[in-house]
Amino acid sequence: MMLDTERTRDVRFEVWIWTRPFLCFLFLLVSASERGFTQSSLEQVFASIERGDYSLAESAFSQNPRLSLLKGILQFHRGDYTSAQATLSQILQQNDHPHARLFLALSQAATGGCDAARAELERQFSARGNSDTQRLAGLALSQCYLSSGRYSEAFGVLARLEADHPSNADVLYQSAKLHMKAWNDAVFKMFEKTPASFRVNQLSAEIFEIQGKYAEAIVEHRKAIEKNPAALNLHFRLGRALLMESHSAESLEAARREFLEELRLNPSDAVAEYQVGQVLVAQQNRAEAVRRYERAVELNPQFAEAVLALGKIRGEQKRFDESVELLRQAVHLLPRSEAARYALMIAYRNAGKTLEALKVKESLEQLQRPPEGEFTEFLKRLGETPKTRQ
Amino acid sequence: MSTGTQEGSRWPSSDLLSNRRCISFKLRLWCLGALLVVASLSTIAGPKWLPSFRNIAHEAGLTRTLPNGGSVSKQFIIETTGSGVAFLDYNNDDLLDIFLVAGPDPKDPSAVTNRLYRNVGNSNFVDVTREAGITKTGWGQGLCSGDFDGDGFVDLFVTYWGQSVLYRNVQGQRLEDVTAAARLVQDRVRYNTGCAFLDYDSDGDLDLFVANYLKFDFANSPKPGENPYCWYRGIPVNCGPRGLAFDRNLLYRNDGKGRFTDVSEVSGIAVPNHYSLGVVAGDFNQDGHTDIYVACDQTASLLYINQGDGRFEEEALLRGTALDENGKALSGMGAAAADYNGDGMLDLFRTNFSDERETLYRNRGSGEFDDVTRQVGFAHNTRFVGWGCGFFDFDNDGWKDLLLVNGHVYPEVDRLKIDIRYKDRPILYRNLGDGRFVDISEQSGPALVERHASRGAAFGDIDNDGSIEVVVNQQNEPPGLLKVERKCQNHWAIVKLVGKAPNRSAIGARIKLTAGGRVQADEVRSGGSYLSQNDLRLHFGLESATSIDRLEIKWPNGCHQDLRHLQADRIHTVREDCGARPKSSRSKTDAAGRS
Repeated sequence: MMLDTERTRDVRFEVWIWTRPFLCFLFLLVSASERGFTQSSLEQVFASIERGDYSLAESAFSQNPRLSLLKGILQFHRGDYTSAQATLSQILQQNDHPHARLFLALSQAATGGCDAARAELERQFSARGNSDTQRLAGLALSQCYLSSGRYSEAFGVLARLEADHPSNADVLYQSAKLHMKAWNDAVFKMFEKTPASFRVNQLSAEIFEIQGKYAEAIVEHRKAIEKNPAALNLHFRLGRALLMESHSAESLEAARREFLEELRLNPSDAVAEYQVGQVLVAQQNRAEAVRRYERAVELNPQFAEAVLALGKIRGEQKRFDESVELLRQAVHLLPRSEAARYALMIAYRNAGKTLEALKVKESLEQLQRPPEGEFTEFLKRLGETPKTRQ
Repeated sequence: MSTGTQEGSRWPSSDLLSNRRCISFKLRLWCLGALLVVASLSTIAGPKWLPSFRNIAHEAGLTRTLPNGGSVSKQFIIETTGSGVAFLDYNNDDLLDIFLVAGPDPKDPSAVTNRLYRNVGNSNFVDVTREAGITKTGWGQGLCSGDFDGDGFVDLFVTYWGQSVLYRNVQGQRLEDVTAAARLVQDRVRYNTGCAFLDYDSDGDLDLFVANYLKFDFANSPKPGENPYCWYRGIPVNCGPRGLAFDRNLLYRNDGKGRFTDVSEVSGIAVPNHYSLGVVAGDFNQDGHTDIYVACDQTASLLYINQGDGRFEEEALLRGTALDENGKALSGMGAAAADYNGDGMLDLFRTNFSDERETLYRNRGSGEFDDVTRQVGFAHNTRFVGWGCGFFDFDNDGWKDLLLVNGHVYPEVDRLKIDIRYKDRPILYRNLGDGRFVDISEQSGPALVERHASRGAAFGDIDNDGSIEVVVNQQNEPPGLLKVERKCQNHWAIVKLVGKAPNRSAIGARIKLTAGGRVQADEVRSGGSYLSQNDLRLHFGLESATSIDRLEIKWPNGCHQDLRHLQADRIHTVREDCGARPKSSRSKTDAAGRS
């Protein structure tokens, strides 16, 4: 199988600055640096920028030499990095200005000039000043490190950015990109250096699984098993892929055989025991399933899913005290699990402990409540206006 | 206790007996010899008897295609949810007619696409849409029936995205749109789905519950692939329901003069944050008041427990019918209720999405339920998207079996070449009578291996032979009409209840039938399945019992009627007759919040 290991060809990076934050930033700069504009002319300028029409703003900023910094930033924003560099260099020849230095470095980095930009980006990123400029510098710096293969330094920058800006989409995107690139490079190396290893098939299978291509994943898992029949985890993953690939009774049975094979290689594999139990329940063999769940919990008393499954089955057996005890443990192990809380609520209810059931119900409802935020607002807005179309 | 009127069985045509002479026990003895060699081995009742379902729609005259959005690709969720179907006897000739709901005709949006077919006997139907005055067009969704004006002719409520319609049945001749006169014009476009007539306030007349799916309009809805809720297994598909705005369900109170008032808020029906589809009503906690269960898509399903004072409390979570056994909200579509295990209590079944299990909730008593899906043997059919469903006793052995019809919401799924398909076959589960079911779909005749994008399904006996037929609404195809060839020899009974006005259709009446040492229970209900309406008559398999020992009827007003020693293999029409009707102890003030 082929993996996308295409390397980044240059250091050109995406436009970090989205319209709204950019406008806020620009507004702050204008407010701080220039009192010459009237409120209405400022509003006109921003409105035109928001429409994507930069000509009015650029002409307004060009008329006033004191606003040339804004002109440079605007040029950067609209992706005209060469003009931005020229404008910002000119400013810096006359006066030192931290924003001019930052946007010059950003423009340089965006056009492949990481070497020239790096020192300024490092300085701005290390400075404890404006959070926005620090973030912009950090993002560009991490991209420069990433494109030159200096992953550990890129990781360092992004770790700090994530700590300072935990909910920033640009930071999280850059972090995801870094991990993806590092992963791609490692995979490429593995395919290049050890193409005949069962690990290549194993990894290919796992990638196919992620892509939802379970038939292909099964083929690769089988190849891996053929090359190394004694390797752990292969039969387990094959069993899981079989269950994902088809809903048939035959697949269920084939998966059970793979989980059992995994257990033959590793009798202390609690997860494989649990999976056998799950298949047995689907096959209507609850008595044997109980034994498998018991064994899984015995092997790993902290294995929450197995504790939960056993707790539920005890409830069905009307062994309510044991059921409640196990399910309380499951909730303890999986405090965010709706499944565990739901099972405990039902167990209390069936045991006649209504007050306890109601208490768990309350916590379950709390857990199920959708988070407030942009999406919820969107939902509230949509469709509220009366419509006549039919 | 008083004895009701028995009209006995009324056979519409002698031709109907051609293959059903052996239904009657006396006649069966007469012709036993003739049949012994040829057919007996394949039709003798018993655990190994298998039905052979055949799709007789074409020969029955149900040939018109029912349009419903795209069949290769669907751009909007509105194309996925339609539509339902009803068995109803609109002209009181004791033959079940069929009303089919459809979406707009893409070639001619002004064309009428819903169809009313009159049963003319011999399993033949004639299209009487035009004569019945049905002219409404649009995105039809579902329907439910009930005699809301108490004139003895069953009326019909048809739900739409847009404006739903209340049809008053005018003497079995035509269906008159009385939506405005009944004050059921909605304040805005709504996406009405399932519905049910019920007498929630026990004042004798039929009120109306209407489920709402979500808020939708073409202009503001995202297109396939536009946001994370517009993808399925890597394919851009129509968006939703997640990502689309919730709407609330509606309850309309009948003032007794055929005018309805929206009491959704004061009654506690208008709970937020659910995508409601299938509706099934029943007295689940056996307190004498009709409750409502709503199958919800990708959100917790709802169980409105009638408090008996005009209010409902939504209690699905603690009662165990909101989620699956893993505490997960499934994509509920259709719902059915029956006493599958013979304990006298109504259990609930819900159809769900692919990669989910169907859900069977066993009533533990007092309306508390356990999810017994896996225990009863349902858990393996996880590749289907289920819609219409119903409990029915196809072999008349006294145990309610279950049939559900399937079809995916994304025609694009076929591109994936996996075992999940846009068009798929129905599933038939045989009730083994010991709390378990077995899947016999692939051994039960050609109709059960046909693949369609099915939605609504209704159950009823079109030829009054004691064997239940199923009509299925299939998107962009003519409907299916599934009929058992060579029915099982077990005995049966059908009970038709006629209540006193205004609830002439006896919706909410409960029957307890004792025969052959077994007790069976059921209720007359409006709505159900997926946006559909089953035969309002109740069917019971009696196995080898040749008579009904006892038939107990609890009418919606609380009065009891007790009948004894009724013959098997007949339709028993029972008119409400238990003396003076007790006056309702609840006033309408409680329900509507006004004096």
